[in-house]
Amino acid sequence: MEFIQKKTADSALESFLSKAAEKEISLVWDRYEGQLPECGFCETGLSCRDCLQGPCISHPFRDSNKLGVCGKDKDTLAIQSLLRLVIKGTMTYLDRLSDFAKGVESGKVKPRNKTKTEQTLKEVQSLLRDGGKEIKKEFPKELTHRWEEIGISPEGVARDLFKASQKLEGGIAEVEETLLWAFKSSLLGCMAHWLQGSLKKSVFGDPTPTKVGVNLGLLRKEVPNLLLYGPLSPILKRKIGEAAKKKGVHVMGVCTDPLVPPFSFPPATNYGSQEIPIMTGAVDLIVAGDHFVNPSLAEVAKHWEVPIVPTDGLRREKDPDRLARQMVEQAEKSFAFRRNIPRDIPENRESALMGFSPKNLDMKKILDALQKGKIKGIAILSGSNNVKYTQDKEMVTLAQEFLKNDILCISGGEASVTLAKYGFLNSDSAKINCGKGLSELLLSLGREIPSILDLGGAEDSGITDFLLSMAGTGKKSLKDYPIVACFPEANRSSEVVEAMWMVAMGVSTYFWPCLPITGSPKTMTALSQFCQEKFGSTFHVITEKKLEATAKASLIMKDLKGEAPPRLAGQPWK
Amino acid sequence: MKVLIVDHKKCTGCHQCELWCGTEIASVSKELYHAIHEEPHPVPRVYVEGKHFALQCRHCENAPCMEACPNGTMRRDPETGLVYVNEPTCIACWMCVMACPFGIINPSSSTKVAIKCDRCRNMGYPICAEACPTQALRLEERKDYHKKAF
Repeated sequence: MEFIQKKTADSALESFLSKAAEKEISLVWDRYEGQLPECGFCETGLSCRDCLQGPCISHPFRDSNKLGVCGKDKDTLAIQSLLRLVIKGTMTYLDRLSDFAKGVESGKVKPRNKTKTEQTLKEVQSLLRDGGKEIKKEFPKELTHRWEEIGISPEGVARDLFKASQKLEGGIAEVEETLLWAFKSSLLGCMAHWLQGSLKKSVFGDPTPTKVGVNLGLLRKEVPNLLLYGPLSPILKRKIGEAAKKKGVHVMGVCTDPLVPPFSFPPATNYGSQEIPIMTGAVDLIVAGDHFVNPSLAEVAKHWEVPIVPTDGLRREKDPDRLARQMVEQAEKSFAFRRNIPRDIPENRESALMGFSPKNLDMKKILDALQKGKIKGIAILSGSNNVKYTQDKEMVTLAQEFLKNDILCISGGEASVTLAKYGFLNSDSAKINCGKGLSELLLSLGREIPSILDLGGAEDSGITDFLLSMAGTGKKSLKDYPIVACFPEANRSSEVVEAMWMVAMGVSTYFWPCLPITGSPKTMTALSQFCQEKFGSTFHVITEKKLEATAKASLIMKDLKGEAPPRLAGQPWK
Repeated sequence: MKVLIVDHKKCTGCHQCELWCGTEIASVSKELYHAIHEEPHPVPRVYVEGKHFALQCRHCENAPCMEACPNGTMRRDPETGLVYVNEPTCIACWMCVMACPFGIINPSSSTKVAIKCDRCRNMGYPICAEACPTQALRLEERKDYHKKAF
């Protein structure tokens, strides 16, 4: 039962927090406090609601109810809690991919590279049907070989997801077996994500570093503001961009990919404070997807008379052209209607250079610097916000500590927006906080390189591309590099899936807050020792609750230097 | 005197009081993630009985456990009227366990002392009432409980 003392590290939001308190509007932090204490059984993964004989718990302190009605013990309960998250997260990636593929198939957007687009669409079909033979060739051979050997190589939606979901329904699968099903499912998510990225590249062209503004200061006073919430289909986003340009409507995004060439949608804020843009009074229409969008938006929007339009619906307009036109028109109408509502836009804004990819980075230089010891390692920063921590503080502190200690940071998706808000992605103020070796490397990569490299939004596959290119260029498997992935404020099931596939690729992962598996020591061991044996990397779930962000950073840096748990660097697979 | 009211209509049998009592009062680490792996298991002082009743020590006005205790280990705090076990002097004779009409005194096999709710007398507020999501457990002042009885 811990209250968060400071709600956010973002100074743009402070005035709105007191405004919400005055108006008695409940924001995410208030609702979190209302939920305390959260259910301890669910938090530790010791509960189950899968059938109607329950709900069941495994009581850690009583002998009378250690087993569920069907006989699930704490180990089964915990590992199944993880599997449940992973299945749900994998479906997120599949849903995004299928949305996008459908949009491309409809022919509403002329693809940049027609042959490659058609080829990718075929691969999408093949992934869903039989796990995509062609896609696997893009991954390092020893990795795919290893996955085949363990039996977790994707074999299509039916063989992976349907089967994995049945592990929740019954059977006598052990912890390790269930964990491998979770890995199998997450790899399907990985490939879907990777395909989404390559489809985007073939339709809209290769990503180029683009200057994007970030934060609430970019909302406009004098023109209608349309906000996109959640990862929507890039086709629809492009259409909205086109229609908005004609009508002079300003489009921004929250939790959505900012770059859809030729348009860019500046992020208004990040996940944790997604209700705040409405409170400026300057939002005229919200187009909301599902994933990452809090249902609370509807209630807050009522206070400022902001209409919210969902992108999906059973009987919605299917034609993206018409849908986009309707939305933009509605934004204009709403702007006229809302003229009397005061617009209180803070001045906070930051500029960011986003959209790097291995193609426009000199990978050889990075690997050279790594080999010569100029940089001590590479940290992948990922994940959105979690209300259990002061918003952005964990991520920003980790980034600061890493940069100071010559660790190259790369980020993607929501993490990039978080870091951009504090100027880490600004190419002008770059290299200030970086260690000597790191700033030398960054300078050698180009004049306009920010201190942290953003590898594209949640709909790009930038980070996976980067890892694959590292393995390819350095001719070493990923487990042998000093590279870690950090999720300091993770939240959604899709982030769990991302963390899982990182581990399967050989990248050790640090994940906060704790996954709902801490009730079972066996599952904890499986994520550390078993993963280390199978993949050469560890899924770190750290149970110390009162760990400061700086302590977390030094823990991770110890791991990068090889001081912490033994790594299997340079050793053959067991 | 203040008494802990148990409203059986509000109790959903979620066992949260047991979990938090076990963590905050009974465990060594005081952290849920670590408490659940402690050996011997922490023993909560509250029992969710049947489906809808969370039972803990009632701190009876005429406490049978105090009468049964042969060496004055079971004591009453004169300030608050709460009955507690003075652990260093407990000889594990389990007389209190036999005498308690509610059956809430637990003979701990690992530490050889009687384990019983002292309504968090050193914490100010009982953790079970704080953790209860439906407020089925709450602390209330009762005028008809006379302080002079003690």
